[in-house]
Amino acid sequence: MNANKHESERGNIRADSRSFADKTLSGIFVVLLALAFSAHAETEIQFNRDVRPILSDKCFFCHGPDKSKRKADLRLDHQETALGKSESGKIAIVPGKPEASEVVARITAADEDLMPPVKSGRVLSQKEIQTLTQWIKQGAKWETHWSFQTPQRPALPKIKNGGWPKNEIDHFILAKLESEKLKSSPEAAKETLIRRITLDLTGLPPTTDEVDNFLKDKSTNAYEKVVDRLLASPRYGERMVLEWLDAARYADSNGYQGDRVRTMWPWRDWVIDALNKNMPFDQFTIEQLAGDLLPNATTAQKIATGFNRNHMLNGEGGRIPEESRVDYVFDRTETTAAVWLGVTLGCARCHDHKYDPFTQKEYYQVSAFFNNVPEVGGVDNDAMANPVLELPTEKQTKDIAKLKEAITALEAKIKYEKSVAGTNINEEKVVLAAASTAAPAPKKKKAKKQQADAAAEEAAPLTENQKLEKEQEKTRKALTTAENSVLKTMIMAERTEPRETFILAVGSYEKPGEKVAPGVPASLNSFSKNVPTNRLEFAKWIVDPGNPLIARVTVNRYWQQFFGVGLVKTSEDFGQQGEWPVHKDLLDWLATEFVRSGWNVKAMHKLIMMSATYQQSSQSTPELNERDPENRLFARGARFRLPSAILRDQALAISGLLKEKIGGPPVKPYQPPGIWEDMSLGKVSYKQDTGENIYRRSLYIFWKRTIGPTMFFDTSARQVCTVRLPRTNTPLHSLLTLNETGHVEAARALAERVMLESESTKPEEKIKHAFRLATARSPKAEELNILKTGFARLISEFKNDKEAATQLVSVGDKPRDPKLDVVELAAYTGVANLILNLDEVLNKE
Amino acid sequence: MNFRSASVSKTTQPRSGRSKNEMTPLDQQKLLMTRRQFFGRSATGIGAAALASILNQDLFGANSAVRNDAMPLTGFPNFAPKAKRIIYLMQSGAPSHIDLFDYKPGLEKYRGEEIPASVTLGQRLTTMTGKQAKKGVLPSIAKFSQHGKNGTWISDFLPHTASIVNDICIVKSMFTEAINHAPAVTFFLTGGEMPGRPSMGSWLSYGLGSANENLPAFVVMTSRDEEGSCGQIFYDYYWGSGFLPSKYQGVKFRGEGDPVLYLSNPAGMSTKVRRGILDDLAQLNEIKHKEMCDPEIATRISQYEMAYRMQASVPELSDLSTEPESTFEMYGPESKRPGTFARNCVLARRLAEKGVRFIHLLHSGWDQHKNLPTQLKNQCVDTDQPSAALVKDLKQRGLLDDTLVIWGGEFGRTTFCQGDPTAKEFGRDHHPRAFSLWIAGGGIKPGISFGETDDYAHNVVRDPVHVHDLQATILRQMGIDHTKLTFKFQGRHFRLTDVHGEVVKGILA
Repeated sequence: MNANKHESERGNIRADSRSFADKTLSGIFVVLLALAFSAHAETEIQFNRDVRPILSDKCFFCHGPDKSKRKADLRLDHQETALGKSESGKIAIVPGKPEASEVVARITAADEDLMPPVKSGRVLSQKEIQTLTQWIKQGAKWETHWSFQTPQRPALPKIKNGGWPKNEIDHFILAKLESEKLKSSPEAAKETLIRRITLDLTGLPPTTDEVDNFLKDKSTNAYEKVVDRLLASPRYGERMVLEWLDAARYADSNGYQGDRVRTMWPWRDWVIDALNKNMPFDQFTIEQLAGDLLPNATTAQKIATGFNRNHMLNGEGGRIPEESRVDYVFDRTETTAAVWLGVTLGCARCHDHKYDPFTQKEYYQVSAFFNNVPEVGGVDNDAMANPVLELPTEKQTKDIAKLKEAITALEAKIKYEKSVAGTNINEEKVVLAAASTAAPAPKKKKAKKQQADAAAEEAAPLTENQKLEKEQEKTRKALTTAENSVLKTMIMAERTEPRETFILAVGSYEKPGEKVAPGVPASLNSFSKNVPTNRLEFAKWIVDPGNPLIARVTVNRYWQQFFGVGLVKTSEDFGQQGEWPVHKDLLDWLATEFVRSGWNVKAMHKLIMMSATYQQSSQSTPELNERDPENRLFARGARFRLPSAILRDQALAISGLLKEKIGGPPVKPYQPPGIWEDMSLGKVSYKQDTGENIYRRSLYIFWKRTIGPTMFFDTSARQVCTVRLPRTNTPLHSLLTLNETGHVEAARALAERVMLESESTKPEEKIKHAFRLATARSPKAEELNILKTGFARLISEFKNDKEAATQLVSVGDKPRDPKLDVVELAAYTGVANLILNLDEVLNKE
Repeated sequence: MNFRSASVSKTTQPRSGRSKNEMTPLDQQKLLMTRRQFFGRSATGIGAAALASILNQDLFGANSAVRNDAMPLTGFPNFAPKAKRIIYLMQSGAPSHIDLFDYKPGLEKYRGEEIPASVTLGQRLTTMTGKQAKKGVLPSIAKFSQHGKNGTWISDFLPHTASIVNDICIVKSMFTEAINHAPAVTFFLTGGEMPGRPSMGSWLSYGLGSANENLPAFVVMTSRDEEGSCGQIFYDYYWGSGFLPSKYQGVKFRGEGDPVLYLSNPAGMSTKVRRGILDDLAQLNEIKHKEMCDPEIATRISQYEMAYRMQASVPELSDLSTEPESTFEMYGPESKRPGTFARNCVLARRLAEKGVRFIHLLHSGWDQHKNLPTQLKNQCVDTDQPSAALVKDLKQRGLLDDTLVIWGGEFGRTTFCQGDPTAKEFGRDHHPRAFSLWIAGGGIKPGISFGETDDYAHNVVRDPVHVHDLQATILRQMGIDHTKLTFKFQGRHFRLTDVHGEVVKGILA
């Protein structure tokens, strides 16, 4: 929706500018220029906020960093070149003198001199022309792109309503609201608040007891106590891991043809654990990027590096392995850049970046850090690709050691037996021994051999040595079985002999060009001197406080998670084509605070939760919808539909079906028949789990890359790194939450739950209980009335069709309580199905 | 996926909305009328308060998502379209142009000989034949004969296609970049080899909106050869919306179970019971809407209504019991069996009649590396009659003029033989440099062949058509300038044709 809106705004601008560009209307230009010089004279144009986005979007394609596409040898992204004489002898920009600046002449030209050229498809709007002109008039001051400058901690802005702020965040928000003549919203109701924070911090709704305790607690820090309790809950890690799984393109299969099963879940469990332990974000980063290179790296630190082995693996027949291997290096490079730097480095894979200061050479220099994995490009370790880490359980380690010992012992015995009994072996037995070690014999011979064996055994019992050899063979097989059952997971490692990295023309593995050394883009913080240029030092470079991007990009993603949209909306792109933050000072303050706190993630989350901004009611008004439809100014709390994975968890929790258990192999709940078959030419079938696995949290559900879990929507495809998900509203979602087996079973279980839990026999009380479990509040009279009437109607409908009632209450694996009346249960199931589909339940409010 | 939501039906207001001040009384009247018609259609209707409020929302909430969803983008279509809808019959696995369309009788004299280096020009090969010692020419395994008013040569494996030769345009000069299936299919459908860009149908839904209020704008149906002879599977990103909002993704109609996932009410819940629950739900959501003033709630109310209507419209569409026997005779016996390509062709025609904009069939079974002597014929049997029947059927219903039908694979196959041509089993490897496909209807010149390959059917020598050119042409027929349909993502204005593509003027009627 957001992106959509963005585009339609652009559409408008285009439509405007098209008519504007019409040559017959050239008279308007005069008027416009006059406007630019007068009406807006007071506003100070800021280069980064106002001018750079225009230049970047409309001019840099031909007059930007990419030297191969540059026209007229004019660069507008550099001050020196823009102010210097161009090829034609004219000066593009003369500070303070729009009338002398060639740029102004060209963007307002009414003939073929018009810039951007009509055929480019890029058009400047009248407002954009005004801005550029005004900026030149004010002296054409240049700034480095904001996000490439290390953030400086801004002072708290002055505000009028000093009573509102609860912490620093609110100063920034309120200052902006006051300048926009908007008011903040009152604090949300306590029921709303506890549901909001519980969903935000644990991904589950509060229990009725938790709600009651919070309502009863009149102490001034009642809210903070709940926040602290939730931050300490092990559910916190299970909630926070969700976005990280999308970013890390985590899945349980390889993707591509074949799409074989891999076991990367030990990495997933490492992340949950790290989040729950509140591992500082810099350490969290270093361990995932280069844990294997830390001195005396632990098993956990090696598992952590699975982050950059989560990419797809291509096992397609005929695939050239080196082509795949190079793809994996690209994937690691671009994923790392997107997640930690928030830049679209991938644009520089084939040519210099069109907008941002990254050359193609720099792309390959960064990729060199990820190009040194001892890998072949194919699938060479069962369904996975080396390097792989084996993770035997304690018992497995013991068993394997025992088996190995036994084999060694047997070997010694055999050797001994041979030495003492060697002279006694008769001719026949030597032949037999030779036959048993020979290559597979033709059938005839085999039969003969069997006969011979039998005959030999009958004639003479096995010698001691033969018995030992048989024993040894059995033990070897047992060892192989034991070793194969050991869990394996892919990790990063370094080749001893570094692989050379070359610039690849148009990103093709077949077209190596100049050889490059590992390095980082010159436009960012510099790499430490006197350290090895390896992946570990690269990870340390990423988390260096001088890195202008990592802290901003990270806190922005947290903001996006809690408010539905980041302070920079384009959370995947902090480059010149990304959005200028609405609250840049707040972003910078949060970023510096994050570093100052020692990259303390839970403290950052708490800071956001404790702000008055976060605690506002999400109630809006038509005026506010008109003024700030996307709630970018935060004059109200956030209200948006919960991610589909959380919708499922919520339904399980409300109904009481949820089975909580942290970590372990993925699970397979309900899925309609034929889904996997459709995607695998009928060769792979989905085998649904039974029992508690059906009721585990969504994050543990088996993710097959070629066909993701069908009960989710608006998710990442888990094929490439995704840091921002769409949020749409379609009939398919409605069908899912109304009809999917898991959701229907949850409705039935919720019905059973309220029938058994409510002390009162009155339907009204049971309905109230169900409503409260789902929303954390009691229904209003008007609402209760609708539900009660609906229940009565359902009772009469199911009374007339008991067969139907029985069918409905039999959906799902959980046996139904036979004590409960079928008609009543079916009617409550209908009501519960409705409640679980209430907009309020689907939303975080 | 993109539905034309109730609130926008029969209005032509552009998506990027005018403000309330610009809405004429006539517009308002239209909206009101439509709303009433829509709610009137539901079994028991919806609370008057809900109705009034939604209407109010639409009229006065400038940012209502409801109104925006299904409308074309401002300025789209860019010019009068020739085609209103597309039926894309994707033949996945790559049908052999040499054995089906690109008649090269001269190849017989080169049989078994290596193709000269002056022709192959150091072509990149897959690992399957890269190391094969001898790569001898294998002329067509099928006979060709002439058909239609222009005496077009067509393989005898395709008798039904031969019968529609006057209605189709055979492009013999296609070429592409990828040599493996998944990247090549992705390239055809999204303009890029790697997953992540929107599929053609998504671009069209995004640009043009939807023309049917009860069905998605972009529908996908898949089928495969019964033998499962080749490993080509259909990744859902083939019809994914990439970086476009996911409502523009293709909705897959399935051959078994619910035609659309989760379409059916749970066992024991009748339509009447469901209707009652939905009415209560709408009332409760309306109370919430009044309280919170969140336009998304109004959207949600209408999407639940749309879901309800789909529960009727989709099964009705896929229920072929109302089709006369003559339909099945026309499309062939397999058309009675769910999940087959033939069946999907009948459904495609029904979807076209209902105004679905992009109907995408994918059929796999064409990857004949080893089993050319047997499997090519089988595939032709599976697809030839229904494909031709679809064109004839559209024509007899007057739909062919504004329906663009495309039939073809993701690349071609090598002129040289993969394996030993004297053995029982042999075939052809992947060949991206030249291949054929056909297009019919939708303002494309009928009855012609376009482009030409060299004597070896190896390289294009006249009128080359790159995949991006084909995409530009398809968009043009739908009234879209391919350079104008863009979406800004990761700082770049993306489009289906990347930064390439020229409309193939030579095939336009």
